[in-house]
Amino acid sequence: MNDHPFKEGAKAALPIVFGYLPIGMAFGVLARKAGLTTFEAGFMSLLVYAGASQFIAIEMISKGVSWLPIVMATFFINLRHLLMSSTLSLYFKKSQTPVLGLLSAEMTDESFAVAMSNTPKIENRPRYLFGLQITSHLAWVAGSVGGALFGGLIDHKSYGIPFALPALFICLLLLQIRKVHHLLIVVIAGISSLFFKWALPGSWYILLTALIVSGTGIYISSKLKVE
Amino acid sequence: MRLEIFILILGMALVTFLPRFFPMAFLTRRTLSERVKQGLDYFPIAILSAIVFPMLFFNEGGAFEIQPQHLLSAIPVFIFAGKVKSLWGSVILGMVIYWGLGFIL
Repeated sequence: MNDHPFKEGAKAALPIVFGYLPIGMAFGVLARKAGLTTFEAGFMSLLVYAGASQFIAIEMISKGVSWLPIVMATFFINLRHLLMSSTLSLYFKKSQTPVLGLLSAEMTDESFAVAMSNTPKIENRPRYLFGLQITSHLAWVAGSVGGALFGGLIDHKSYGIPFALPALFICLLLLQIRKVHHLLIVVIAGISSLFFKWALPGSWYILLTALIVSGTGIYISSKLKVE
Repeated sequence: MRLEIFILILGMALVTFLPRFFPMAFLTRRTLSERVKQGLDYFPIAILSAIVFPMLFFNEGGAFEIQPQHLLSAIPVFIFAGKVKSLWGSVILGMVIYWGLGFIL
């Protein structure tokens, strides 16, 4: 018999765990430096669970910014999840709303990308996705608390740690390239994301790139079918 | 926990949850047209491209910067991942090269 779907998902999360632990630790260290208690740092990682916006929140807290601008910045940074949530909606037609709520609360860039690298695994298998997500989340919380408690046990800038997640994302991107015209899509998306990242704040560069690329993709697909 | 921090964390959690939840909650129950489904098919590749390239060309402060250590580590990982499609392999290779380059650059 195969592994239980939850266990299978948890195993698929291991490369993410490897990336989240040191970055979570870095977050814990910086959170303490910004004046948060260990409990507050862990609570934020537990409830918010969104790396980029947590780092920005810490930066803003240390500058004495009040809660409302931080919440607004968080909103704009995490708007990109609209796209991932839309994509995941295709795979859980049989799930009840509370299950969808749980899966969406646990969604991150990394777990989404790993889930999309093998879509037959997630189709109507919420347990698999949940295993993948909750394992990643645990690593994030454990890293944050560990970093807040013990400080930089390992320096998050050493041993190539800064490149763990970029390397993971590069591989996950390449797993998405299945047809020749996908290369063209990657080039368009690359240029678009760099331009909009430079031109606009927040995560607009991801949102706009997805819209441009899916428009182009629909156009290319229709051309390919005609010919 | 201080009240201000508690409010901050709840606020952040709420505005993070909403965009994660709404499309999934509403689109799951709807039948999408073929055209929309086709468009959604391109989201993963678009999102991943839009994560990878800015990661390589923008520094931690969010400014555009040519970062030789990032770029020189990325090239072999692209080649390796393209051929071997291994997540662990790519992560380890990327880290080792990045680490090694740290001594040279």
